[in-house]
Amino acid sequence: MDIFIQLVINGILLGSMYAIISVGLTLIFGIVRVVNFAHGEFLMVGMYGAYLLAAKFGLHPYVSAIPIVLLLFALGAIVQRFIIQPLLSADEHIQIFATVGLSTALMNLALMVFGADLYSVPPSAVQHSIALGGFTLVIGQVVMFFCALALVAGLHLFMQATPLGRAIRATAQNRNAALLMGVRVDRIYVIAFGLGAACVGLASALVMPLYPVSPTIGTYFVLTAFVVVVLGGMRSMYGAFFGALIIGVVDSLSGYYIAPDLKEVVYFALFILILIFKPTGLFGLGRGTE
Amino acid sequence: MRKIARAALAAAVVLGASQLAGLSPAAAQQNIKFGALYPFSGGLALLGDESFRGLEIAVEERNAAGGINGKPITLVKGDAVDPNQAVGEARRLTSVDNVSAIFGTYSSSLSLAATQVAELAGVPYFELGAVSDPITERGFKYVFRTNATAKDFSVRMVDSVAEAIAPAQGKQPGELKIGIIYEDSLYGQTMSGYQKARAQEKKLNVVETLPYSAKSVDLTPVILRLKSANVDVVLQTSYQNDTVLFFRQMKDQGFKPKAVIGAGGGYSLRDTMQAVGPENMEGALDVDFTQYRTNPKAAPGIEQFVTKYKAKYGTDPRSGHSLANYMGAKVFFDAIAAAKTLSADAIRAEVMKVDLPVGSTATGWGAKFSEQGQNTRALPFLMQWQNGDLVTVFPAEAAVAKMKVGVGTN
Repeated sequence: MDIFIQLVINGILLGSMYAIISVGLTLIFGIVRVVNFAHGEFLMVGMYGAYLLAAKFGLHPYVSAIPIVLLLFALGAIVQRFIIQPLLSADEHIQIFATVGLSTALMNLALMVFGADLYSVPPSAVQHSIALGGFTLVIGQVVMFFCALALVAGLHLFMQATPLGRAIRATAQNRNAALLMGVRVDRIYVIAFGLGAACVGLASALVMPLYPVSPTIGTYFVLTAFVVVVLGGMRSMYGAFFGALIIGVVDSLSGYYIAPDLKEVVYFALFILILIFKPTGLFGLGRGTE
Repeated sequence: MRKIARAALAAAVVLGASQLAGLSPAAAQQNIKFGALYPFSGGLALLGDESFRGLEIAVEERNAAGGINGKPITLVKGDAVDPNQAVGEARRLTSVDNVSAIFGTYSSSLSLAATQVAELAGVPYFELGAVSDPITERGFKYVFRTNATAKDFSVRMVDSVAEAIAPAQGKQPGELKIGIIYEDSLYGQTMSGYQKARAQEKKLNVVETLPYSAKSVDLTPVILRLKSANVDVVLQTSYQNDTVLFFRQMKDQGFKPKAVIGAGGGYSLRDTMQAVGPENMEGALDVDFTQYRTNPKAAPGIEQFVTKYKAKYGTDPRSGHSLANYMGAKVFFDAIAAAKTLSADAIRAEVMKVDLPVGSTATGWGAKFSEQGQNTRALPFLMQWQNGDLVTVFPAEAAVAKMKVGVGTN
């Protein structure tokens, strides 16, 4: 029983990491309606950023979260403005190819600049674990859990209570109607893409103390993030959050009770079943409902 | 244009004739051309280049001493980024550059592809670094390998449990509970297969066998499985990221095995130790090619190699790959020199005659080749991370430090 509870704890904490990444992916998908295959590479860029700030200025990744979030916002906005925007009226496939191309380009750029070596930030207290009633929790992961909660709550407030948030929701619901109401849709897209990338920026600063960075690190996380987004209903931020926690727990339990190499089989099987029986995802309420 | 072509043709004929006649002094001085087939670009480039440096030093050393039977060696580089390109470059080396032999290759998949081309062309292929067993199990006549194979690595890992770890713990080998964990690609599967077979042979108690994806971001299920099975010794076959993750999460989850043994790869790299932290990596055991903190009495020439390396490249060797390539190249240069001619059959006959005892080369290996061309005296050593350094601890004659018990800060 102890092991079971420990596994669930580990799963929820792991899931909160996926949650931050997936919320960003959901924002981009839900509002701009672009599947961003370069999402993992945004994470990689953010992690190298956090590494450089730690190596050159001795900043703890939690401190560099602020510049990294701003940097990633800018990167996301630039990608939207100069790569996705010109393709908005083109076929969806073309946009997908563009983001896949961007992903490969970024990965190889990192390989050129940093090489294939691993880089990590100096050890800090957040790598340690604390014991709580016989169970262990890694401090960095607990921080991630609360950041994920705060992120979803913050985005919720932003979307509901600010004029810009309303404009974003309007754009997500119906692009043309929003355009007719005087919303500058192309600007909303740039902001939304930037916000999605900024979420990954936050994730990369939080992940950096726990995982070393290498050019392919994004591919480790992003495939799971896609599963989470579909599970959560594609466009629902809250769905992405709970979907991530579910995937985390499934990952943790199946790795222990079935076999560590079969955990992907389990959650991809879950993924396929959801697509068959509830194509709108567990929390999806249909198109344009966020 | 036509005039130029004619002139060139005439020049070629004249040149060809003079070479055929074999009378010009230049012909007597003609270089011996060897191909050097390594990944010089792409993701494998770092250790590919490190491997090549060992060959390059061996060539310079040989040329300074008069070359092979008075003829200097020149290396023709071939860049093998992936198996397709390895085939293409092997074709170029054997048919366009007409090299007398090829040296390579660092990566097993590249070697498996390139050796086929060389074998068909009847050009000897000297493998100095790739570990996959099938390279010398396909009945090829002109493929020879000096370095240890995956099976040798696995055997050493399992035997270390019985011969080094059990005595240090004051236990019988059968009392120790062993957990075998491996990344689930071909590499990990091959290694773990040999490990399981060897453990069964030695009647050791394997209680868990767990594969996992090398791209996994969470190894806590693996660790909790090992922990609840009370595993004493972990054998891990891994790359770099998963090694780092395993050590970090092992500490988080409070899993304290008596020993952890890794199979080269991620375990030998300084980056891994730094990412994990020296205090957490302390005591981790590692089976790999000979590294530089090895007793020079068991590996004569290792210190001179490091001196030459530093003089040429201005840094310490980045891994043991250069040393393994240096040792292999030297063994084969001697065999080629003994063959007098450069015919593949004469070289094969001389390679088969090579008989160097263990502890007589710079890697500490001996050299004696099986019919299949595999060196049967290349045994990897057991090493351990101690105070941020990877030191050889077993067998006793090669050791520079005593093996420590325990892993990390336990």
